[in-house]
Amino acid sequence: MAASGDATAFERLYRAHVARIHSLARRMIDADEADDVTQDIFVRAWEKLSTFRGEAAFGTWLHRLAVNVILARRKTVGISRQRHDPREDALEGVGSRPVTPDLGVDFEGAMATLPEKAKQVFVLHDVEGYTHEEIATMLDIVPGTSKSQLHHARMALRRHLRD
Amino acid sequence: MDRWTEQLSEYLDESLPRAEREALDEHLATCAECRETLDELRRVVDRARGLDDRPPSKDLWSGIATRIGSGTAIVSIDRARAPARSTRRLSFSIPQALAAGIALMAVSSGVVWLSLRSPASGQQAADPGRSIDMPAAWHQMDSSVDPVVANLRKTLQVNRAQLNDSTVRILEKNLAIIDSAIADARRALDQDPNNNYLNHHLADVVRRRADLLRRVSTLGVRT
Repeated sequence: MAASGDATAFERLYRAHVARIHSLARRMIDADEADDVTQDIFVRAWEKLSTFRGEAAFGTWLHRLAVNVILARRKTVGISRQRHDPREDALEGVGSRPVTPDLGVDFEGAMATLPEKAKQVFVLHDVEGYTHEEIATMLDIVPGTSKSQLHHARMALRRHLRD
Repeated sequence: MDRWTEQLSEYLDESLPRAEREALDEHLATCAECRETLDELRRVVDRARGLDDRPPSKDLWSGIATRIGSGTAIVSIDRARAPARSTRRLSFSIPQALAAGIALMAVSSGVVWLSLRSPASGQQAADPGRSIDMPAAWHQMDSSVDPVVANLRKTLQVNRAQLNDSTVRILEKNLAIIDSAIADARRALDQDPNNNYLNHHLADVVRRRADLLRRVSTLGVRT
């Protein structure tokens, strides 16, 4: 029914998927932008519902659309940020914050301090389960670069989990 | 990082070529530092895979509902701010919807015409990433759309007295044009049922018709 423009049905889909989509946005983009991006994603999903073929699960389709929206936004916003925040190789300080009782939240905090590309690759591969080939296509890089960024992200984050 | 450390992530992901994996296996048997690093990387991956999804701290639906033009948020805001201007709001919104309908009709006719010109149009999908299995999905949606459209038409008929005559005439004329465009697209699909572009286009046209009807019938109630 959502595909036929039923907003009530679409709201049910929103309720079912918002936690996953918001978590993805929060991890790939600054937490303070996650609300806006999540809204953008669901509005885009509404506009694109007619292209949903029903082959894959709706959640899979929505998730891929969400990644595209986030990366497009990241590309737009990132250009201006990189001019005054050139931290692409600044992995040394990552994960050095003290461990708190809420390890999940704290680990996400450490993820947030990763350089942009390393964070994107880490979230897409280790959290979301995409392959290096898929990530390479999404980020317009070669798979070898994706592997390298992933390794550097993991090496930075391992410090965070040391006792 | 030395050459062994550089390979640890791929080793962990079991994506190292066999020869390199065997060499690293031999190294790990004698290097405690690399074994420790490997263990730490494994913990990072496990932690990432075990992260829980959390909903946003505030409900975002109302903002989404406003942007997709559903719900009552727009109506209540308009009425709260300027109840005396509801008629003006109607005269502004319907032409927008009708303009969309006219544009839709023009695009629809063009798409159908172009699709039917090519004998191999089924193999010329606009999006090469889409496979040729849209008809099943379309027919699923088609069957769910018709009752919705019928209900919306019924609502519109009930509320048409609240719209002015010229608006109703324009609206019905444009709905007829859209219906005609949909019929054309369906006929085209009968000849070329695997044409992805036509299938997607038809689904989109039908959805837009439902949006148009819903919007206008709701405005009828509001006025």
